[in-house]
Amino acid sequence: MAHAFRLMGVDHELWLSRSGGVYQVHVGDISVAATLVPRGEHAHELTVRDVAERVVIARHGDDVHVHLDGETYLLRYSHSLERFAGQTADEDEAVARAPMPGAVIAVSVEPGATVRRGQALLLIESMKMETTIVAPCDGTVQAVHVAIGQTFDRDALLVTLERLKEAP
Amino acid sequence: MASYESYSIMTGSGRNAHCLGVRVPPEWPFQSVLIANRGEIALRIVRTVQRLGLRAVVVHHAVDANAPAVRHADLAVEIHGATPVAAYLDGPQIIETALAAGAGAVHPGYGFLSENAGFARACLDAGLIFVGPTPEVIEQMGDKVTARSFVAHAGFPVAPSAIEDDDPATFVERARHVGAPLLIKPAAGGGGKGMRIVRDLAALASEIERARSEGQRYFGDGRLYAERFVENPRHIEVQVLGDAHGNVVHLHERECSVQRRFQKIVEETPSPALTPELRRDICTVAAGIARNAGYSGAGTVEFVFGGGTFYFLEMNTRLQVEHPVTEVVFGIDLVEQQLRVAAGEPLGFSQDELQPRGHAIELRIYAEDAASGYLPTTGTILTLQEPNGPGVRVDSGISSGQDVTAAFDPMLAKLIVHAPTRDDAIALGRRSLHDYVLLGCKTNIDFLRRLLAHPAFAEGEIHTGFLDAHPEVAAEPAIESALLHKLLAVAALTSRPLRDAADAVPALHAAIGAWRN
Repeated sequence: MAHAFRLMGVDHELWLSRSGGVYQVHVGDISVAATLVPRGEHAHELTVRDVAERVVIARHGDDVHVHLDGETYLLRYSHSLERFAGQTADEDEAVARAPMPGAVIAVSVEPGATVRRGQALLLIESMKMETTIVAPCDGTVQAVHVAIGQTFDRDALLVTLERLKEAP
Repeated sequence: MASYESYSIMTGSGRNAHCLGVRVPPEWPFQSVLIANRGEIALRIVRTVQRLGLRAVVVHHAVDANAPAVRHADLAVEIHGATPVAAYLDGPQIIETALAAGAGAVHPGYGFLSENAGFARACLDAGLIFVGPTPEVIEQMGDKVTARSFVAHAGFPVAPSAIEDDDPATFVERARHVGAPLLIKPAAGGGGKGMRIVRDLAALASEIERARSEGQRYFGDGRLYAERFVENPRHIEVQVLGDAHGNVVHLHERECSVQRRFQKIVEETPSPALTPELRRDICTVAAGIARNAGYSGAGTVEFVFGGGTFYFLEMNTRLQVEHPVTEVVFGIDLVEQQLRVAAGEPLGFSQDELQPRGHAIELRIYAEDAASGYLPTTGTILTLQEPNGPGVRVDSGISSGQDVTAAFDPMLAKLIVHAPTRDDAIALGRRSLHDYVLLGCKTNIDFLRRLLAHPAFAEGEIHTGFLDAHPEVAAEPAIESALLHKLLAVAALTSRPLRDAADAVPALHAAIGAWRN
C-alpha cells in the first residue's frame, strides 16, 4: 500500500519493501536501497545509494523533522483520508482563520450578528503590527472562538459564520 | 584562529586583567541582582552576575517556568499578569519581588521595562539600584522627540522632521511639508513597533492614526513624530559606556543594516561602510552626545548613514540585543561593566586603551518562516544542538522540550562569530549555521546561511532595504530528486507502520511489487 508524505506543500507517494535485510524505498518508478542506523541524540547514519551521511531526525506525531547537510526540512505524513477528501468543507459554513500566530486586541462582533463580506470581525496583533480579520462572506456570526488578550497559533479558528443564502 | 579562542568570550572571560575571575568586594552596595527579563538575555545576565560572585534572582511568568534562566538562577520567583508580557511589564510587582528576595539591584535587560524612567525611579524610591542611567537621562534620551531636540541643540546632525508635540494642531500639515517618503514613529517607541513608511501623502492622515493607535497600545503614549525617510540607508550605531564620575568612552560601531520590518537580523562590527575618518567622526559624535547627556552605564547611539553622511536617529539607554559583537572584539563583558558602573566604580580603562580585534557578526535565530513573509512560527523544540568551537558563541534562551509560543518576540537565540577578517567571520558563520540543529519549530537558520552566502552581503553592499532588493535570499530553493529520495527514505524508515508493512511481506513478493509499480 502506498503512503504519502507532504514536503513543501506537495504530497509524495511512496512505499517501503525489504529484501535481504535492506529496505527499498519506492518512489514512482524509482527504487533506492536505504539504511538508517541510530547514532544517539537523534543523530543517525543514513545510507542511500551506498553513500552514508549524518542526519538528525526528530519525530513528533505525523511530523518528521530532518536536519541534513546543514538544512532543515519538515515532512508530514499524509493520511489517505485527507489526501482524497480534498477541500470538502461545508459550503454553508464559512470561517475566519488566523493567517499567523498572534493575540486578539479587539472583537467587533457577537454571535448572532449579521455581517457583510469584508466587514471587520477582529483586530489581531502579530509581528508587532495590527491586522484586521474580515468576514470572508455575507452571513451570520455563529461563534467567536477567541477573547481579547488570547493568543493563538497559525490557522486557529477565530470566527465561524453561517453563510447567507442567496435568495432563490 | 588560535588566539581567538582565548577571548571569544563565553559570556564572561574578560580580557581586562582587573575583571578576570575577580569577585566583587563585599563593600559593593548590592550583593544580589534581580533580572527583570526573560529569554536569552536573562540567562546571559545571570551568568555574569554569578561569575562576579553575586546572587542572581530572576522573575518569570508561568509559561517560562522551564526556561534556562530559571534553572540557572540562584532564586526564581513566579510573577503573574493578564498576559505573559503584562507580567514582565508589571513594575510594582517586580519591585515588590526584588525587595522580598533581598535583591539590592535590578537589571532590566532590553525591551520590557529597560527604558521606562518611571520604573527606574520607582526602583530608586524603593531603595534599589537600577542598572542603567538615571531616570532623568532615560527621560531625556529615551524619548525620541526630546532626544532629537537635545542632540540638535548640542550641534549634532539630525534628519528633517516634524514633531507632533511642537504644535499638535498643525502636525499633519508639517509632516506633509517635510515631504514623502516619510517615516512615522511613536515618540516613546523602539524596536520597530508602530513605525510606518508613507510614500503617498494621500494616506498620511490614516497612517498617522494607525501609528498612534499602536504607540498608545505598546507604550501607553500616542505622541508621534515624522521624519524624512532615507531610501536604502545603512543603520550604524555606536556603543558608549559612561560612569557616575563623568567619564565616557565609545566602543566603536556596529552595523545593523540587514533588517526586516525594522527589526535587525544581522549585526556586525566593524562596519564595512566606514572609512577610518568616518569611524572617528561618528564615534566622536556618539561619545559627545553621551557626555553632553551626563550618561552613565551602557548605551547606544543610533545613526542613519547614507551618501557618505550620517545623522542621529535615537539613543537606546540600555543594553542592546547585539551587544555581544562589541564584547568579542574588545574582550569586554558589557554586563559586568554595567554592574560596576551601577556600583559606583569608575571605568577601568581609557579611550586609548580600547582597541578592537578582528571582525564579529551576530546572527539572530528567529522562530519564523522567511519564505512566507517572515511570519512567526510556533512548535515544540524536539532537539537542539548548538554550534561551538573557537570564535563561536551562542547566547540562547531555549532548551530542548521547550514550547515556542506566540506570546513573545520570536527571537530564540543569537549566534556570534569572531574571526580575524570579515571574510573569515562570514565563513565561520556559514559553518556554524550548518552545524546548528534546531528541530520542531521552523527557524530562519537556513535563511541566514543563504544570506551569508549572497555575493552582495559578502561585498558589504548592505542597506535596510537589502532583503526587499534581494527576495531570492528569503525564497526556499527547490528540492532536487536525489535529496527528495533521501528525505523520503528518512520519513519512511522512521515510520513504524511502513516498516511493519515491509517486514510482513516476504522478500520475493516485495521484489514483484517493485516491478508491478
